[in-house]
Amino acid sequence: MDDIEKKIVDLVAEVLVDVNKENIRLDSKIVEDLGAESLDIYDMIALLEDEFGMEISDEEVEKIRTVQDVADFIKVSQKKS
Amino acid sequence: MRRRVAITGMGLVTCLGTGVDKNWNQLTCGQSGIRPITLFDPKRCQTRIAGEVPSEFDPLQYVPVKELRRLDRHQQIGLVAACEAVQASGLITPPADPYRYAVVIGSGIGGLSTIEAGYEVLREKGPKRMPPMMIPMAVVNLLPGLIAMRFGLKGPNFGIVNACASSASAIGEAYRLIASGSADVAITGGAEAVVGEFAISAFNALRALSTRNDEPAKASRPFDRDRDGFVLAEGAGMLTLESMDHAKSREATIHAEIVGYGATSDAYHVVMPDPNGAGASQAMRLAIQDAGIEPERVEYINAHGTSTELNDKTETLAIKSSFGKSAYKLSISSTKSMTGHTLGAAGAIEAIFTALTLESGMIPPTLNLDSPDPECDLNYTPNVRVNRSVEYAISNSFAFGGQNVSLLFRRP
Repeated sequence: MDDIEKKIVDLVAEVLVDVNKENIRLDSKIVEDLGAESLDIYDMIALLEDEFGMEISDEEVEKIRTVQDVADFIKVSQKKS
Repeated sequence: MRRRVAITGMGLVTCLGTGVDKNWNQLTCGQSGIRPITLFDPKRCQTRIAGEVPSEFDPLQYVPVKELRRLDRHQQIGLVAACEAVQASGLITPPADPYRYAVVIGSGIGGLSTIEAGYEVLREKGPKRMPPMMIPMAVVNLLPGLIAMRFGLKGPNFGIVNACASSASAIGEAYRLIASGSADVAITGGAEAVVGEFAISAFNALRALSTRNDEPAKASRPFDRDRDGFVLAEGAGMLTLESMDHAKSREATIHAEIVGYGATSDAYHVVMPDPNGAGASQAMRLAIQDAGIEPERVEYINAHGTSTELNDKTETLAIKSSFGKSAYKLSISSTKSMTGHTLGAAGAIEAIFTALTLESGMIPPTLNLDSPDPECDLNYTPNVRVNRSVEYAISNSFAFGGQNVSLLFRRP
């Protein structure tokens, strides 16, 4: 995992405190595998936006399934800016 | 037909500690829980002391870590106190008849500390960074909702906001739900945790708080000539109420019976009590009428006793007005001398102390009552607890805004 991916795993673990961090992998599905519900997702978005200084629209959130999807999205938007 | 209402479980979290036993030991030994503020840096505030829930408070014993992160501090301590009250009652949850279980909880300002922190985020980082749990952590009715979710209770459920009388009102309304037959069981009480720069400076602006920063344990001194205001504190008190038949049918331990509830308004002033104490006196009278007893049978009053000049004098007048000459035979105490003033949680915390007084035959003292105010000339149980077997006792709660609530309890 690179630094961005590690940071995302940290943030996901911070929200999903009941999930063992070792069980959060890049291919983990955030809802299906890790058990996130709507409030968890909102919480993650707020933390990610704060950490990476960017905005994630609700449409973009709809496309995200796995931890890897989050990392890819952030890397792409960092290149754009 | 009116049904009798029993207290079958109690739970406490205050600056004296977590748990009913711990609190009662501290209280009857005359221990103060008031200390220098640690929850924030109070250097800009005139008042730098408060009654904070001690740092050994461990909600993880009762609340999963994920849930905990989403709770305002008043919800955390309220939920822990509710867990103790339900566990102690021995009720099995979720119940088979959940719609017969009510939850009625009071809080004066709910998640004020969350709002305070959220407003800083809004100012510094903008609207898009607002934490998503801001509203559920801020509103007062979430704690009764959380208690219902925790134990699977689906009957009438609401929060009551009534400043310093909030949880006394909650207990009174829960008592009526059971007495009238609308519920068989109720979890009721209150929680408050607003020790922060916002609330301390706001109460300072009203000149309501003690500034005896160098002697925290001596700062809350109800009915004493040298008092200089109340001491803000955190706390939660929760009770399990049950219809007497329901409690007896399952052979539950009955700590006390609630036999009277009186509620009035001063209709006088935003923050000052009616100087004649008419509304407060009438609340006590109504509670006594509700119980159908002679006033002389009441032997103990857990006073509102905030340690403000206006409250202490007016409450004394009101007691004299309700009880006449027999006022001088009453044992009275203000346990706020040790717990500080927990605002919306005070009524429930003090209802529990009143029930424990009936159960144990021990009157807790009014700490720091060294030089009584000449206008406060009743027996306030100064500094040392007194053994006295009491059958009927009142707990008073009065609010900024003029609301007065008296609850009357009977030894089982």
